[in-house]
Amino acid sequence: MARSDYEYPGYERSGVSYWSKTTILYLLVTAGALWMTLPFWWTLTTSLSASPTAATVSFIPAEFTFQNFITLWERPDILLVRWFLNTMLFAGAVTAFNLTFDSLAGYALAKVDFWGREKIFLGFISTMMIPGMVTLIPVYLLLVELGWVNTYQGLIAPLVAQPLGIFLLRQHFKSLPSALGDAAKIDGCNEFQTFYKVYLPLAKPALATLGIFTFMGAWNNFQWPLIIANGAEMYTLPIALFAVRNQYFAEWGLMMAAALIIVAPVIVAFLAAQNYFIQGMSLSGMKG
Amino acid sequence: MATEPLQSTAERTTERLRSVLHNLKGYAGITEDQNNLMGFAFIAPNILVFSLFLLGPVLFAFYVSFQEWSILAGAGEWTGIGNYVDVLEPLPISYVDGSLQWRPEVFMDPSTSLWWYSLKNTFVYAIGTVPLQIFGGLAVALMLDKRVRLKKAYRAAYFMPVMLSGAASAVMWRWFLAGDGVINGILPTFLEHNWAGDPGTALGGVMLMAIWGGIGSNMIFFLAGLQNIPEELYEAARIDGASRWHRFRHVTWPSLGNTNFFVFVMAIISAFQVFGIALVFSQGGPVYATTTTVLLIYQRAFEEGAFGEGAAMAFLLFLLIFAFSYYQYRYREETEVDY
Repeated sequence: MARSDYEYPGYERSGVSYWSKTTILYLLVTAGALWMTLPFWWTLTTSLSASPTAATVSFIPAEFTFQNFITLWERPDILLVRWFLNTMLFAGAVTAFNLTFDSLAGYALAKVDFWGREKIFLGFISTMMIPGMVTLIPVYLLLVELGWVNTYQGLIAPLVAQPLGIFLLRQHFKSLPSALGDAAKIDGCNEFQTFYKVYLPLAKPALATLGIFTFMGAWNNFQWPLIIANGAEMYTLPIALFAVRNQYFAEWGLMMAAALIIVAPVIVAFLAAQNYFIQGMSLSGMKG
Repeated sequence: MATEPLQSTAERTTERLRSVLHNLKGYAGITEDQNNLMGFAFIAPNILVFSLFLLGPVLFAFYVSFQEWSILAGAGEWTGIGNYVDVLEPLPISYVDGSLQWRPEVFMDPSTSLWWYSLKNTFVYAIGTVPLQIFGGLAVALMLDKRVRLKKAYRAAYFMPVMLSGAASAVMWRWFLAGDGVINGILPTFLEHNWAGDPGTALGGVMLMAIWGGIGSNMIFFLAGLQNIPEELYEAARIDGASRWHRFRHVTWPSLGNTNFFVFVMAIISAFQVFGIALVFSQGGPVYATTTTVLLIYQRAFEEGAFGEGAAMAFLLFLLIFAFSYYQYRYREETEVDY
């Protein structure tokens, strides 16, 4: 952290200039933070309002009712539990596969000395350059041929590995001393045991960061489930929200209640493990 | 006599160490072939996934873009560059009476060419959002890098929109910007407007939402970048009497070179691919006002079944993004500063 001016001789932590500057700083930061958080407040107050208007929800809510949530629960075309479970299964499976495949590859690319290692790593990394929308059409056509459209395997399979995860875990395994693996091998471990028993436990913090980040990405993923989950029984929550939006457009209270159901788990998880989220974000920036 | 067992112990230890070291050289007796085998076994799942769902599909998409694809038959009919011609015509540059003529109206009228119109929308979106996302993120990072009380709470507040699903934030902002929405409730009466329903302002609504959602992640990147600037640089600048602005201009800004490059390229690439928020916010409307290029690709391919034309559009956009990234990369190589 850069030291502030006031820690240097000649600058005083007092006087009109200091206090006015500090006040302006806090005013700016607070105004920005309000702009960031007010929409969440509006979503909450709208979802708790029977007939939301700008006047009844903007700052101090005039009404308080759970009617919108009850309605969402009771409408036969809104499969809330199913959608929630779908999303959990989808995000959970994508995360589990990613952690497995990415840590295997990350370990091999960091610690196993095999033929063409650096070139293969470069190849993996350069696939990050391929924009998602180029592969969208051909992968869909492939899954049509396989008969995987509107199935869980179709939802999950194309997302089971990501170059970013390989990159992050490779960096992490590289930072661990090779002597550990040598010692394990002298004691008779084979390569897989060395990976599984020695290095993997040491990578737990990196795995947690990557896991949370991947789970959040899948939870929020819109593009892929939109294309592959055609039937209401296969929707994940973001797609379900889009469907609810088209069905009940302008029933704002109902829509905000639906939005809140998607948002709430992520916000709760974030507030509980803020550092993992922020670390994941800044790590994903390190590849630059 | 008394020293002999000691000596032999020492010898034995040396012998042992030597054999350990010898084994270590070949990874404890593991041969090169075994290493190759294990290495490829470890990366095999990834190779399979990447070739099946990334590299293979890129080639297949290229093939499909020259076809009139039928989803029922699972095969296409070769049309050459027909799809590309259909997408690109009418060109914004035309050759009339022996001279090239610029026809900007191609970009302005969705009934003339949806491709060029969507490209214009995408550029407006990129130009309007990327600088504000980046400089907003930088400004917040600079403010929070100081000794601010409740720093963690502020950081959390700015980061909250980042974790939001695009679908959720689009539904939320659609309500805030509706004719009877919250924003109009706050604005003075003469400024009230149906922001989301008016073709002139709907794209602005999508952009406002994107700026709101994009500042937090850039803030995190810049906070990480600011931590890496050595304090000595600031000390030296202070001793030289550099003002706050000069310290920013000549120390902070150049030191953030890597972060700037990364953040800028990522922001542009994702701006060119904006899709979900525009679809959920207003389904590309009203009157194609929020039809971005990827949204057009989605509608052509998945709503109308024109997969060949969709693939052709996807490749044209890919080309554009690639050209931009490459140009950025070259530009950066030329201007790179090292400290």
